[in-house]
Amino acid sequence: MPSNQWSTATSTGPSLEKDPLIPSYLRGSRLAGRLQAAHRAKHAASAAATRDNPRSGQSSGAGSLSTSSSSVNLHKPSPASHRGMTHDIIERAAPAAVYEDQPSPLPSRWSDTDKASGLELSDNGLEVRCIGLSKTSHEEAAAVRADHPMPRECGIYYFEVEVVSKNKEGLISIGFSGPKVTLSRLPGWEPDSWAYHGDDGNIFACQSSGKSYGPKYAMLDVIGCGVNFRTGSVFFTNNGNLLGNAVTLPSSKTATLYPSVGLKKSNEKLRVNFGHTPFIFDIDTLVQKERRIVMNEVNAANVSTLTSPPLSENQLIHKLIAQYLAHDGYIETARAFAEEVRQETQALTHGTGVALGMQDLEPGEDVDAIRRQKIRSAVLEGDIDQALGYMQKWYDGVFAHNENIYFKLRCRKFIEMIRRLTELQDAAAGVGPEPRPQRSGHSSTGVSSSASPAFSAKKNAAAHRGVPGTGDRPLSAATDEFDVFDHQMELDEQLGAPPGALQGNGGGAPVEGDWETVMDTSDDVGQGAGGVRRSHSNGYGHGRPVHKDSYSRLLAETLDYGKELKMEFSSDPRREVKKALEDTLALIAYDNPRESPLRELLEERGRVPVAEELNGVILVSLGRPCTSALERLVAQTEVLLGELSGDGGAGAFVNLFDEDEEKKAKEEGVGS
Amino acid sequence: MSFSTVSPSTPTRHSFERRVEEHKPSKMDINAVIMDYLIKEGYPNSARKFAVEANVKPAPDEESMQARVEIRNAINAGNIQTAIERINELNPEILERDGALHFALLRLQLIELIRTTLAPPSTDIMPALNFATTQLAPRASTNREFLDDLEKTMALLVFSTETLMPQLSELLNPDLRLKVADRVNSAILRSQGAHREAKIKEWVRARKWSEQEARRSKKDIPARMRLGLDGEEVEEDDDEVMNGNGEDTDML
Repeated sequence: MPSNQWSTATSTGPSLEKDPLIPSYLRGSRLAGRLQAAHRAKHAASAAATRDNPRSGQSSGAGSLSTSSSSVNLHKPSPASHRGMTHDIIERAAPAAVYEDQPSPLPSRWSDTDKASGLELSDNGLEVRCIGLSKTSHEEAAAVRADHPMPRECGIYYFEVEVVSKNKEGLISIGFSGPKVTLSRLPGWEPDSWAYHGDDGNIFACQSSGKSYGPKYAMLDVIGCGVNFRTGSVFFTNNGNLLGNAVTLPSSKTATLYPSVGLKKSNEKLRVNFGHTPFIFDIDTLVQKERRIVMNEVNAANVSTLTSPPLSENQLIHKLIAQYLAHDGYIETARAFAEEVRQETQALTHGTGVALGMQDLEPGEDVDAIRRQKIRSAVLEGDIDQALGYMQKWYDGVFAHNENIYFKLRCRKFIEMIRRLTELQDAAAGVGPEPRPQRSGHSSTGVSSSASPAFSAKKNAAAHRGVPGTGDRPLSAATDEFDVFDHQMELDEQLGAPPGALQGNGGGAPVEGDWETVMDTSDDVGQGAGGVRRSHSNGYGHGRPVHKDSYSRLLAETLDYGKELKMEFSSDPRREVKKALEDTLALIAYDNPRESPLRELLEERGRVPVAEELNGVILVSLGRPCTSALERLVAQTEVLLGELSGDGGAGAFVNLFDEDEEKKAKEEGVGS
Repeated sequence: MSFSTVSPSTPTRHSFERRVEEHKPSKMDINAVIMDYLIKEGYPNSARKFAVEANVKPAPDEESMQARVEIRNAINAGNIQTAIERINELNPEILERDGALHFALLRLQLIELIRTTLAPPSTDIMPALNFATTQLAPRASTNREFLDDLEKTMALLVFSTETLMPQLSELLNPDLRLKVADRVNSAILRSQGAHREAKIKEWVRARKWSEQEARRSKKDIPARMRLGLDGEEVEEDDDEVMNGNGEDTDML
């Protein structure tokens, strides 16, 4: 049997890109978030391996992604769920820091090794069959445990077992046990084991005599077993019916418990569901209820004592937001917010004659705040050169102590150049058959694909600005372009294209000028003749001469810059730097980087962490705390919740980043 | 002790503080939560500026905020009649379906009427009495809680402002407007399909709750955890600061 029980949670498939197994009832939980983050980190590492041959990696990557979208455990749209490639991972550091260790993997199958010899596994360890008890080792029964224990930080863990076939005199036991419990007896009979037995419907808790609990069960019955680590309650279900509390576990917060089943007669067979497929019992609702109980407790918390003197919840939130906005250099927002809160508070005093303690949320005059905001804007717009220029002007020397962010900025510049190259390609190739909906900043000029066919250059310009590519540009086009480039580069060099002429501007400085001129008229000319556009969609059409120049020039620039980047950083011994550098530079190798395994690097939202980290180091260089109170509050809460969930406490049911996360992923999926 | 310079709690504190320091919540997540607050609680100018400055997408739909902002402002300023009319224009089902909220608004309106009688020039209590008998009394007769609230409110007419008992003077506190405005805002949001309160509220509560829980279950955490808001900003707040005690009693 081709299995490796130590592989990962995704033992049912060979694909490393598959999402981790998250049972439905754990979706949106803290543990699910941690498992996904860990999985992404692992995926990012393994993706590097498949990247040796970019073109083949490209197709296999896309393929396995699409197959995984049909999988039950899928929680978010695939592309969005893989949001953390190398760069992001360095940046986001996940909630890993909150915990001292990796998230505990979930049980995913029966163990090949932690199993009595009288049992045989099949279907990737989901099915277990009794092949006869071993007489030599005096087996009274044959039991098996899952590959991983039930993680306490689930809060509630639940799995189901279907009785596929059962002998008339058979005795089946379904439950869980500690790692050292003998496998030659049925779970429930031994200390440290608990189980619901099929022959009598009794519950066995660490002893060989049982207590009456539920109905007997036999062939085709589906038995569920759940543990609520918060309350210690153990419950079972029978064909979707909750049988109620069976037993309460001793209050040990550390005991490790594995799902376990035991059989006695040959050919008896069980099939387990660790969340691979929907459960018969509606465990999701039960977990939701539990979550609501905890959230009601949370929502009843009186926050006024978080500060001294006490603030009302509103005041506290206002203060946290105002301080965050000022701290992070969102000056305009900070002013507007202070003003709006002031108006709100003033209205309150209307007619009441009560003078309220007005909070002054107005940010102070702060030249650094304005500068920081300028730098952030430049990065967010993709204008890395501008940001670097500002840095040199105002914060010269900050990079000396912060090579990391300098490196990231330099990489980002390369990425921005690639982004523009792909935009130029799109423009040249015309608009593909199914343009993606686009909501990002590129449409800011308001120019869309409505340009007149008589002005194909303008059309292309419009496409360049307004509509992203569709990724199906013919391969030959790129190769072609690379060939052209060889000659073109020489030409450019002879002409002495000024270095930096095309660098790092969100729209590309000189290019920008060209486009703007063209586009200024395009709005006037081009309405209602979109149908002809298609005639250009298979090639460069008339637009090509216009683009070839800028494209080749930019390509040359990009290559030169890439070399420069490599020279500057390739001697850096750090692994993450090497890797980030490799990934970044590898973008140039792809025909269409947006469809490559590295596509995440290209996304516009990748600018945000760079901008924020840069802001952070400037703050530190100014001797200010690098985190705001709000961030500190979140960090403290995360660490506290980590403490409260590790041993199965109520913290398991609180997730600061749940549904909004989902919604955002959806939005980002559309917007990028 | 031989290691007199080292406090006994140092090792734990280090571990906890180090983890807090190392944990960097994603700015994107924080910005999204701030935008969520600005939109849900109705700060349209701030939301617009924030969308630009922080590059948060999609940009907020200010139109959907406008009605909520106007209604909130009306309640905050004590113009309850205006607020009720605006709510009904927006969606008459909101108050039809939520009798308690409707009653809370009407009672606030009564309080505002009484407030005007307490101010020196006007002492005519008739408008307030009329309003109470026509608008509130019929509703209160069917519900014990409403009746209590109404009786308590009417007591305001009997006592002079100086001698009011705390639970009565509380009614005149503008904080009540805030609370009602908040309930109205949530109700409108729900009617528009947004079922959650602003996420940041959950964050601050979760912070408080998780600390309580951790202390209760004797986890190794520092004796005091500062937010970093204290200090420079706190001195400005003096005794006039309203405190939020009792707020949790009227969770929706």
